[in-house]
Amino acid sequence: MTTVREHPLQKILRERIAIIDGAMGTTIRTYGMTEADIRGERFKDSKKDLLNNGDIFSLTQPEMICDIHRRFLEAGADIIETNTFGATNISQSEFFVDDPREHGGRKNPEFYQKIVDDPFLNDLAWEINERSARQCREWADRVANETGRQRFVAGAIGPLTVSLSNSPDADDPGFRVVTFDQVKESYIRQVRALIAGGSDLLLVETIFDSLNAKAALVAIREVFDADGKELPIMISAAVGRGGETMISAQTVEAFWTAVRHVKPLSVGLNCSIGPDLMYPFLEELSQKSDAFVSAYPNAGLPNPLSPTGFDLEPEDMARFLGDFAKSGMVNIAGGCCGNTPEHIAAIARALEGRPPRKPGRTSVEAYANEVKA
Amino acid sequence: MSVTEAVETIPLRLSGSQPFTQQPGIFMMIGERTNVAGSPKFARLIKEGKFEEAVSIARQQVENGANVIDICMDEGMIDGVAAMTRYLQLLGSEPEVAKAPFMVDSSKWEVIEAGLKCMQGKGIVNSISLKEGEEKFRKNASTVLKYGAAVVVMAFDEEGQAATFEDRIRICSRAYKILVDEVGFPPEDIIFDPNILTVATGMEEHNNYAVDFINATRWIKENLPHAKVSGGVSNISFSFRGNNRVREAMHSAFLYHAIAAGMDMGIVNAGQLEIYEEIEPQLKVLVEDVLLNRRPDATERLVEYGEALKASGAGETVTEKKTEEWRNAPVEERLSHALVKGIDTYIDIDTEEVRAKLGRPLLVIEGPLMAGMSVVGDLFGAGKMFLPQVVKSARVMKKAVAYLTPFMEAEKAEMEAAGQVVRTQGKIVLATVKGDVHDIGKNIVGVVLACNNYEVIDMGVMVPAEKILERAKAEKADVIGLSGLITPSLDEMVHVAREMERQGFKLPLLIGGATTSRAHTAIKIAPHYSEPVVHVLDASRAVPVTTSLLSDESRGAFIEQHRKEYESLRRAHSAPRQTTIAIEAARARRTPIEWRKEDIAVPEFTGVRVLDHFPLTTLREFIDWTPFFHAWELKGIYPRILDDERQGEQARQIFAEGNAMLDRIIAEDLLNARAVYGFFPANAVGDDVELYTDETRQHVLDRFYFLRQQANREGKDVCRSLADFIAPKETGLPDYIGTFAVTSGMGLRELCDRFRAEHDDYNAIMAEAIADRLAEAFAEYLHKRVRDEWGYGKDEKLSPAELIQEGYRGIRPAPGYPASPDHTEKGTIWSLLNVEANTGIKITESYAMWPGSSISGIYFAHPQSRYFSVGKIGRDQVEDYHERKGMSMAEVERWLGPNLNYDPES
Repeated sequence: MTTVREHPLQKILRERIAIIDGAMGTTIRTYGMTEADIRGERFKDSKKDLLNNGDIFSLTQPEMICDIHRRFLEAGADIIETNTFGATNISQSEFFVDDPREHGGRKNPEFYQKIVDDPFLNDLAWEINERSARQCREWADRVANETGRQRFVAGAIGPLTVSLSNSPDADDPGFRVVTFDQVKESYIRQVRALIAGGSDLLLVETIFDSLNAKAALVAIREVFDADGKELPIMISAAVGRGGETMISAQTVEAFWTAVRHVKPLSVGLNCSIGPDLMYPFLEELSQKSDAFVSAYPNAGLPNPLSPTGFDLEPEDMARFLGDFAKSGMVNIAGGCCGNTPEHIAAIARALEGRPPRKPGRTSVEAYANEVKA
Repeated sequence: MSVTEAVETIPLRLSGSQPFTQQPGIFMMIGERTNVAGSPKFARLIKEGKFEEAVSIARQQVENGANVIDICMDEGMIDGVAAMTRYLQLLGSEPEVAKAPFMVDSSKWEVIEAGLKCMQGKGIVNSISLKEGEEKFRKNASTVLKYGAAVVVMAFDEEGQAATFEDRIRICSRAYKILVDEVGFPPEDIIFDPNILTVATGMEEHNNYAVDFINATRWIKENLPHAKVSGGVSNISFSFRGNNRVREAMHSAFLYHAIAAGMDMGIVNAGQLEIYEEIEPQLKVLVEDVLLNRRPDATERLVEYGEALKASGAGETVTEKKTEEWRNAPVEERLSHALVKGIDTYIDIDTEEVRAKLGRPLLVIEGPLMAGMSVVGDLFGAGKMFLPQVVKSARVMKKAVAYLTPFMEAEKAEMEAAGQVVRTQGKIVLATVKGDVHDIGKNIVGVVLACNNYEVIDMGVMVPAEKILERAKAEKADVIGLSGLITPSLDEMVHVAREMERQGFKLPLLIGGATTSRAHTAIKIAPHYSEPVVHVLDASRAVPVTTSLLSDESRGAFIEQHRKEYESLRRAHSAPRQTTIAIEAARARRTPIEWRKEDIAVPEFTGVRVLDHFPLTTLREFIDWTPFFHAWELKGIYPRILDDERQGEQARQIFAEGNAMLDRIIAEDLLNARAVYGFFPANAVGDDVELYTDETRQHVLDRFYFLRQQANREGKDVCRSLADFIAPKETGLPDYIGTFAVTSGMGLRELCDRFRAEHDDYNAIMAEAIADRLAEAFAEYLHKRVRDEWGYGKDEKLSPAELIQEGYRGIRPAPGYPASPDHTEKGTIWSLLNVEANTGIKITESYAMWPGSSISGIYFAHPQSRYFSVGKIGRDQVEDYHERKGMSMAEVERWLGPNLNYDPES
């Protein structure tokens, strides 16, 4: 086997807990942007509303997006995520292509084949990913130079708006709206563009359907093999109250078993449930995983009556993630939905000087322990 | 643990939706019945396209204890790629099966790849080999690794199948080196199949096959670290087709020896394995002679024995396991079990049994079936069931409903023939609102509803309000369901509700999606639409809610209950949670009052005074009529409302009738207005106010305990408490506080009873409304009188109308209202003024006043005193209040529930 040169982030992770940034979507909302702002000149004639297609802001309001990246970096994030959660041709199609169901049609693999082949969507997806990665790169390097601390750009790869594990057809549980290969193709383009824009890492996140995630991981492998360049991979699942991936209902350990072959830099949990509910599942993952472990939960549960839309304040998040650290469960920590730069700053302060989780036991050791038990 | 010790074999780890870790010393069973070559029944179902039925075979395998199920579609008449894809996708929707890891079994590489694309977990590829050379072998192995599966490697090379011990270990060891050293395949994920070949064929060179396999297994386990060994067990006994007794004995005995040599797993019929110790002794000897190649005539002897067995009719299998004890339970439990487990095998029989029992098909749906689905809902809510299982349950429900449909149609036809009106099946328009693209959850709701026989019109995502409403009208929908995942969707839902109100819709509106909540629905959406707006927590709740809303029998009760719940939610959340500052910091921001002697009014007397039979004609002048119209749901300000274009006529009428009622009350002396009030020497001590027995201020008579604002509003806002308006003890200034209780309700009950006895509810309500106004007027009048007696009111010169505007000095806040939210402080007023004895007004255990038309409060005279709302308070203040007042934390929290800025424990 070949020996891989150690990535600089690996060295950091051995020494301390690295901080990953907070949520783009909920932070964007604090800027009070309007439909006209997101459209700009470029999308002014778009038929559907774009306001909730936050990735587009990287093209039409780069100053705001870069301001958010800068604020997260200044709050202490070692890793910032690109604003590309929905930057695939499939997810973008929801905002630019007529929903066939409005006209009595259905979404099916024929429909999605047209989406995957659509030049406008492909160009748009590429542009968002590449531009966003470049914007992150620029600010990560700028803040790194100012502070003398290296910062990393994680190319964010989201879960898509379609599921490979679930049938929307009441009469046919075997039906799928999209095929594995279509999803893989969609991800391949995203991965290439993220790498072209200068990402340091690839982050497959908010995994609620493990088969979608598998398609993303296969896409990454194929891009690496074809282009001859590899980046460390981070993987993060979104589990519900029972500890299963939200849509495909896979338990944390089953999930880790299914993705371990990619030898990720880290595996972890994000989004979906707040830090308190996440604790037991993170603990389990932390015990099973021999990769570094990440956790960036939502700021509690959605609470439409609170100003950020989520329950927890910066101090609350700092306390919960501090508990994760105290229990020796994390190597990378941050926040997902509802976490503003203030949250990240509080988390960074709370975790400063705390020892990171010990590099994972090997499977052999874990097995030996099981045998003893 | 040191490196040198770490030589133990790494276990095979696999997963479906659940993890599977190979346990030391325990043989892994791979189910073979979902293999077209292993089960004629399965092959037939697949060929006939009966995939859903074929799913039940997979389920039986898992129930019978298979750790992994082998799936093979290799048959000339079957399109392997399509069949593998469809079958695995169906298994993916079958939670009881999807738990287990799958083994994708094919000799065609494209079928294997198709299988890899359908597995969310870590499965096994069966198989790859060196048959087509090293290059192909490496490429296929890399693909398996890319998808993250373990792999079975057949002992095959360019020369063909390895039959001898030497060939078997040579090929396995070559494959191992390529996989581990060149491809980087994890050695623990390599599973060798060193060929289980048929023995007892009559050919001498086959006699040692079993021994060679066993020896090869031992060698592999000793020489190829972490590698595993597997094999297709039924091959061994192929010569004894049709004689299951012999075959089962051979399988058991073979496994017994192979496992001892280190075999990890095997493809077996999980329900059909005899226990080695239970093999009939004579048969065991004969079988082992064959397997272990112990004597030249072993085959003949076993064949002879087998023929004899067959002739006696004992050759049939004896060990098909029974897994279905649940079938013995009562039928309601069986239905519930079937719904919870998602088993549809017996649903028709069970449904028929209940239908026969209950008589009407609808009773079956609304009774046992809904009960079962609500168990599903509860389990899901508790995190004990997961989405795919809920969907599966819904599909069983659908089958039950489908069974009942002809009966319902017959019943409907009968009722129509008898001239009765029949409720049609419900129609639901579902949409993810404009601006939101998430619809996986909504799709699941659609499936669950469709399975319960509702007609679902799914409009997809990003649907604008006007399109939803247009469609609902066109389709004559019974319910509209809105979904959204992201926060901005919440506003869009409010917009849809408003539009429904504007356009005069009469349909219930359902709200669902991850960021939605009951509280938000109650507080932000429901108030905009007059019809029920119901939050649906998850897919499993969609059916009970919809059924309740559309059922003539339960609709009324459901809506009533729902409105009550939402009303109390609205009250509980009347203010959004804010940040609070520490109580000490809040006290530092008390109302800035510069205490001066000239601002403190001295009352004419201290002590208590009582007014009885107070003239109602005097009170009449002090009536504020605006709330009177509100009580009759006419919204407007008196006197303008009398000339209102729309409501004027109605307003004038009830105003005239109200006054007529008042005339009668006065003329006939129907109500007795009573009051008690008093002044007390008082000073503030912290947030308490001490009341003294006399002017020496030596003895504390009683205390009022007040709460202070803690909300962290902009910057350095004042944090008020009523205690701020009484001179602090340390100023040395003697101050006073007043308190009162008034009622105009004495005689009201008798009056109302009289009207009701005459079935005149209208006048009963009118009398109550007038009594309420008189009580308020009395409070206003008494406050005027108190200001006069306090001295400073004498120069007011305000008209009664101006008094109603409260444009005067001083306030009279009531316990239980925003400035003093603790109702229990009324108890202090009652004891200070001896209210019950003096006026007859009682306080109930919940500190409500009886009769209803009564008002009590506390008087503050300082010019800077004002009304405010305490709002949200922190735990620190509640703890402090509990200490001051000597009331338990739990009780304080109970009384101040809506004010708590935290969730109390328990």
